Amino acid sequence: MDKRVVFAVAGAGKTSLIINSVTEDSRCLIITYTDNNTDQLVRRIIKKLGCIPKGVRVYSYFSFLYAFCYRPILGYDLKTKGINFDYPLPKYAQFSKMNKREHYIDKNGRVFSNRISKLLIKSKAINKVLERIEKFFDSVYIDEIQDLSGNDFNFACELAKLNVNVCLVGDFYQHTFKTSIDLNVQKSLHDSFEAYSRQLIKAGYTIDLVTLSNSYRCPPAVCSFVEDNLGINIGSNKSSEVEVRLIDRPDEIDAIYADNSIVKLFYQKSNKYTGNTDNWGNTKGIDHHIDVCAVLNPTTYKAFKQGRLASLAATTRNKLYVACTRANGNLYFVDEKFLSQYKK
Amino acid sequence: MANVTKLKLTNFKRFRTLLIDFNPNINTIIGDNEAGKSTILQAIELVASGNRSKLENVGFETLFNKECVDEFLHGTQQFEDLPKIHVEIYLSDETNPDLFGNHNTDKVDASGLHMVCEPNQELAKEINTVLAVGSQNFPFEFYEVKFITFSGEAFSGYRRLFKCLTIDSSQINSEHANREYIKSVYESTVDSPNRALLKNDYRQQKLSFKNNSLQIVNDTLGDYDFSLRTGSKYNLETDITLTQDNIPIDERGKGQQCFIKTEFALSRNSEKRVIDTLLLEEPENHLSHTNMKRLILKISESHQNQIIIATHNSLISSRLDLRNSILINSSSLEPLTLNTLPASTAKFFVKAPDNNILEFALSQKVILVEGDAEYILFDAFYQLATGKRPEADGVHLISVGGTSFKRYLDLARILSIRTAVVRDNDGDFQSKCVDNYSEYTDQAIAIFAEKDVTKSTFEICLYQANSAICDALFSGGNITKTPLQFMLDNKTESALRLLESHAAELIIPSYIAEAVAWINE
Repeated sequence: MDKRVVFAVAGAGKTSLIINSVTEDSRCLIITYTDNNTDQLVRRIIKKLGCIPKGVRVYSYFSFLYAFCYRPILGYDLKTKGINFDYPLPKYAQFSKMNKREHYIDKNGRVFSNRISKLLIKSKAINKVLERIEKFFDSVYIDEIQDLSGNDFNFACELAKLNVNVCLVGDFYQHTFKTSIDLNVQKSLHDSFEAYSRQLIKAGYTIDLVTLSNSYRCPPAVCSFVEDNLGINIGSNKSSEVEVRLIDRPDEIDAIYADNSIVKLFYQKSNKYTGNTDNWGNTKGIDHHIDVCAVLNPTTYKAFKQGRLASLAATTRNKLYVACTRANGNLYFVDEKFLSQYKK
Repeated sequence: MANVTKLKLTNFKRFRTLLIDFNPNINTIIGDNEAGKSTILQAIELVASGNRSKLENVGFETLFNKECVDEFLHGTQQFEDLPKIHVEIYLSDETNPDLFGNHNTDKVDASGLHMVCEPNQELAKEINTVLAVGSQNFPFEFYEVKFITFSGEAFSGYRRLFKCLTIDSSQINSEHANREYIKSVYESTVDSPNRALLKNDYRQQKLSFKNNSLQIVNDTLGDYDFSLRTGSKYNLETDITLTQDNIPIDERGKGQQCFIKTEFALSRNSEKRVIDTLLLEEPENHLSHTNMKRLILKISESHQNQIIIATHNSLISSRLDLRNSILINSSSLEPLTLNTLPASTAKFFVKAPDNNILEFALSQKVILVEGDAEYILFDAFYQLATGKRPEADGVHLISVGGTSFKRYLDLARILSIRTAVVRDNDGDFQSKCVDNYSEYTDQAIAIFAEKDVTKSTFEICLYQANSAICDALFSGGNITKTPLQFMLDNKTESALRLLESHAAELIIPSYIAEAVAWINE
């Protein structure tokens, strides 16, 4: 049985890797982190096969955890009524012992989202989960694996014990969600790629850095910029010539801003600006932008000028990485302070 | 293809608990009136339907087991002790994770559907107020129903996870039942995308009728138009009906309707396989003997899917192989199955002439006699011996042709029915009446026959015990034979004549007297 973690670069075709393996008679479990990705996967499978085959299930991460793993095994006794996504956890849950109900379940009978996997592991239900997966599926895919942190990362490690093929796919540097963090559990997980990989290897996974190392989306110039300035390895399968540069002439800034086909990506609060805008972190998974204009806030602008973007705080760097790698075409940078006139 | 493998009822109608296993093909539930046959079908239909309003129409009050309600009212009357109804069906199909889990009262991993009626937790305060009054008031109105799969997922009628169709001959003429039937068979014949397509087409046709045919009228109306209704009450699926030779089936006679509906549903069943389980409620009603035989043939030929039949007709249960029978008795709550019946015995009852198998199965005590003459006189013997009619003691009498005693004994053994065999010794008591039955050592089975091998038949025994009466009755007139010879040659006639003229004076042959005494021990 193959247990593999495929690390992908942005636009390398993670979804295609999964879709390619799905056939009419697959018995295949696909888990994505967000509902958005779930929809996209379902649409792609329908496009390929005309329908979702009987043996194929696509779940978003929490519905998998709750409806497939937790509820059929523990739900009848614990009598819960859904998931509590509040973050951080209420004080009584934070300071409770982990063998107590209130450690996992709130006063209204909802399970804390970031502790469902912990509950499964600590109550030994994890073996039942593995049995249940093996009963219905021959292969398991988890997309956006980098977004599993805390207890959920431990849960993903448990899945290496499955007696079916398991393939985790993700891009370490696109880790931006923090929803499954639980106090100090795996707190420094995303600090170092090497340490992260070591844990997965220890759990029983093979690390694959080759299959999805090149981007089908980003042209060579964009990839070189990312490698040289953000310190993240990314190759390109394209050969198109594009521009990657800082725009500082006011007339050029106005021209780019006026062009609504060019998306303007802000560090945050993009909705305060007019036109075609979005936040860096929000654009994960989006593939339809041609030219991209990344708007740099004071901190990142300074780092950009000094050539030390790579040493930005990890989350900031990751979000900028996501923003830059949306480009199918040209990539422009603009200093945020030149855009005050476009505020609503 | 899914089928029901097991049904478990808790506090549902007359059953405190009930557990029945079903086989994947034909199952006949046989039993007395009020034994709960229909309850079983109703339970399966309810849980499969996922239909809350169907349940609310019936009302919790009628669904709750009376005993458990009484027990609660005479017990603690605490909120946490309020009884719940569970109806659980276990399904054979284990490929759907949405159905699989341990949300069942046995907490085992399985596929299935589960209906729970329980007090609404959110109304705990109000319920406690009602209970605090202390009168004999059960809070039915504060109950709610939940339909969940064994994975814990809630489901409703829109998602037919398990398709079953009921044909209830007692409601054959009800408009509602008809609509439900036609809807079910239509849905099972046309898949959902095509139904949408046809429905859409029907609406378009209505529109074009308005635009073309009604136009002439509407042209004269100015701002007003006559149009056709559309919408949820007036669409293809509300207008559709089923006809045979251009006659709508609901306009046929009851018997014919029942036959057609079952036949049609069975044919759906085998070709398309989209009805998982067909539930037939007393199909014998309204059917002539010939039609019933035809129906049985249809049913026995459809091997594809699961059929569950509730019946109190012997013919149906024996012709469909007794081994598929589940026996529900009004006096016992445990269903009995005959699946351990020897194959040759099951086959015998399929082929045997129309018999009283069901009466036998439902009896507590049975006396089996060899021929018509014994049968005719037995009632009189019984009354002479006990002063009562056999029915008054719950004793049932069956006349069994010659050699088939053992077939009935196989049944008696499974069903623990106290059974006396009354037979001739045929001139060899040891081999015919003792060795022959050596395997039936059960306490509840006994063989009675004359030990004297010279008295080889019933008539000889009868003659010897009552020679004066027989000599007088069976000589003279046209009779040229000896009285005994006449009796041997005209068994039935002589028995009838004895019964008519001397019923109260007969001396009972000793082995028959022994049988009567034993059966009531």
